[in-house]
Amino acid sequence: MTDQQTDEKVAFMPQMVNLEYRIVTSPIHQRFDKQMREGRIVGQKCPSCGLVFVPPKGFCPLCAIVMTEKDEVAVKDTATVTSFTVITPIQYQGQKEREEYVLANLILDGADSSIGQQRIEGIPHHDVRMGMRVKAVWATPEERAGEEGGGMRGWGLTAAVKHWEPSGEPDTPREQYQEHIL
Amino acid sequence: MAAEASWTLEFPYRRSLGPVVGGFFTGLRDGKVLGSRTRDGRVLVPPLEYDPETGESVQDGLVEVAETGVVTGWAWVTEPMRKHPLDHAFAWALVKLDGADSSLLHALDAPREAVSTGARVRIRWAGERKGHITDIACFEQENS
Repeated sequence: MTDQQTDEKVAFMPQMVNLEYRIVTSPIHQRFDKQMREGRIVGQKCPSCGLVFVPPKGFCPLCAIVMTEKDEVAVKDTATVTSFTVITPIQYQGQKEREEYVLANLILDGADSSIGQQRIEGIPHHDVRMGMRVKAVWATPEERAGEEGGGMRGWGLTAAVKHWEPSGEPDTPREQYQEHIL
Repeated sequence: MAAEASWTLEFPYRRSLGPVVGGFFTGLRDGKVLGSRTRDGRVLVPPLEYDPETGESVQDGLVEVAETGVVTGWAWVTEPMRKHPLDHAFAWALVKLDGADSSLLHALDAPREAVSTGARVRIRWAGERKGHITDIACFEQENS
């Protein structure tokens, strides 16, 4: 087939490696997904040590005991920034970010465990700080009713909450969150 | 939500090939099979950059071999997996092409009873060739 011949030499070859996962969502994730779709952030409070874990794990990692629906407690959608990173995206294949953005660890009001990878918007990056108070900006109930846009385990904190923005409250004193800094 | 979801992690690599493997793939794209020559004159297909027995570099330049050859070993695949080159039962075969001194591993599309060591086979080229090992669609019986 001479029509396919060119003088150009083959110097590279594409090699697509893909790992295909089948994610089986646990009943705990499914329940959390349902609550987040309803706009409620619900954790579990250990009946032994009294610490509140969000998202719920189904067990207390410190006391190593099972926790169930009867240990559920609602927490608020307001939080304190415990640490943060300003990320400058490199434009690799598949990268959708174009501008610098901020991801933070937060401690939700009513929770004892921090949550990571939370996007902060509505404030210049150089003004983001530890102790800053933020509130959730939720995806709309219509968005949360669908499947499109949820994470691979459903509507978790990084999907149902689009981002967090300053609430305008005074900063949380360091003593109140220093045990939770990741 | 669904209790099950699928998720794919992709690593889209682009590998540089060098003069020997690059030359081999250039040949496949042009419908030719090229091998490398060791210092003592053996022809390696697929071509290596070195003699596997001595570690010496091969001679410069590649030589063309035939698109027909003989099966030197094989394994029958009763149920092909999703990423296999054929969607029906086939053999993975080592084929020593005429003019070569080593064997190339590829799929052989032939009835089970026609697959044996010593069987004569030839290349079935892919419809569209782009400089990849898949330019060889598979082997088939020489007299089919």
